[in-house]
Amino acid sequence: MEKSIETIWKQGFLKSDALVAPKLNDLYNQKSTHIIDKFNRMFRKNLIAIVIGSFFALGFTYWYGIPYLGICMFVILNLLAIVNFKIWKSLREIDKTVDSFHYLKSFDKWMKEQVSMNRKFAKFMYPAFFLSIILGVWLGDFGGSIPGEDLVAKIVVNYPDTLLIFGLPMYGVFAITIITALLVKFGDNIYDFDVRLVYGRIFNKLDKLIADMEEIKA
Amino acid sequence: MSIDFYTISILPHAGIIIKICRAYTNSQEDFEDYYQEVCLQIWKSKDNFKEESEWSTWVYRLSLNVCLTLLKKKKNDPQHFVSDTLPTEVTEDSRAFADEPLNQLYDAIKHLSEVDRAVILLYLEEKSYQEIADIIGTNPNNIGVRIKRIKERLKKLLDGKIN
Repeated sequence: MEKSIETIWKQGFLKSDALVAPKLNDLYNQKSTHIIDKFNRMFRKNLIAIVIGSFFALGFTYWYGIPYLGICMFVILNLLAIVNFKIWKSLREIDKTVDSFHYLKSFDKWMKEQVSMNRKFAKFMYPAFFLSIILGVWLGDFGGSIPGEDLVAKIVVNYPDTLLIFGLPMYGVFAITIITALLVKFGDNIYDFDVRLVYGRIFNKLDKLIADMEEIKA
Repeated sequence: MSIDFYTISILPHAGIIIKICRAYTNSQEDFEDYYQEVCLQIWKSKDNFKEESEWSTWVYRLSLNVCLTLLKKKKNDPQHFVSDTLPTEVTEDSRAFADEPLNQLYDAIKHLSEVDRAVILLYLEEKSYQEIADIIGTNPNNIGVRIKRIKERLKKLLDGKIN
């Protein structure tokens, strides 16, 4: 006799193994591993992109006639890559054999340390980038003319009263100094914005996951 | 999630959560992910429960929503939405219940659209048309006709397999 679907359903679930609930902690283990692996991959990709970008900047600026800018950017970007490569290596030292909560906590601690180091580095990096651009363009070579010298010559001709400091217009030096000082002062804030833009979603997930797990443990 | 909350508020409804998760997954690994995500979401959303419906109805609805959301994410298709069309292909299920007819019924259910799967699961759990309509978010008048149509389709799918 053919069974109705209602009967199949009822009888089928009478068997003892049909409704065994899985353990609850596996999700957290999987999520922890997933988040950290994802961050790891992104961090690695970014490091590679920085190094490739530095070579690209070197080649492009040389071709464009502003090689000093390229050299400065190459040095800064590679310094950034070296610092972060060392930080990234320390990530591998985190003990993966501990439970997911402690693994995540260790990762979170590592993350805070690397952010703190990069914030300090940003106070040097952003002003250095800015000065590189000024220096690079100033000393650039566009078909035999040097923009910095041309600019000073024009200013001196049009505004003969302009005060010069070491051969440079005072207002220009003043503006560059102010902008550099602001970049030193707010370099860490710019970094915070920058890092949130790239890793923001992972940071939020990590915070949420740790908060969840702390609540479970409470 | 405290053990008390799980034991008192979720475990009595674990059966339906398992049945729903099972209907939307094809492997044990996915099933465990879905089950735990549902439990997690129930716990996280518990404060949103307004007592306008039964706790169990709310659990059904949330379980279905979580499963459909996870399914959508898994398909990784931004255009995908809760589909009322038949699946283009049904992946073979790597798990098996001890009861063979139940396995065959589940296989048949997976040939249904996502919405029809939800409807038939609730029907098999002996929910009233009104409750099914509330959970699915549709008119209760259509539920009876829809269930009849789903049962006919299931019967066709099962024909020749179960005697």
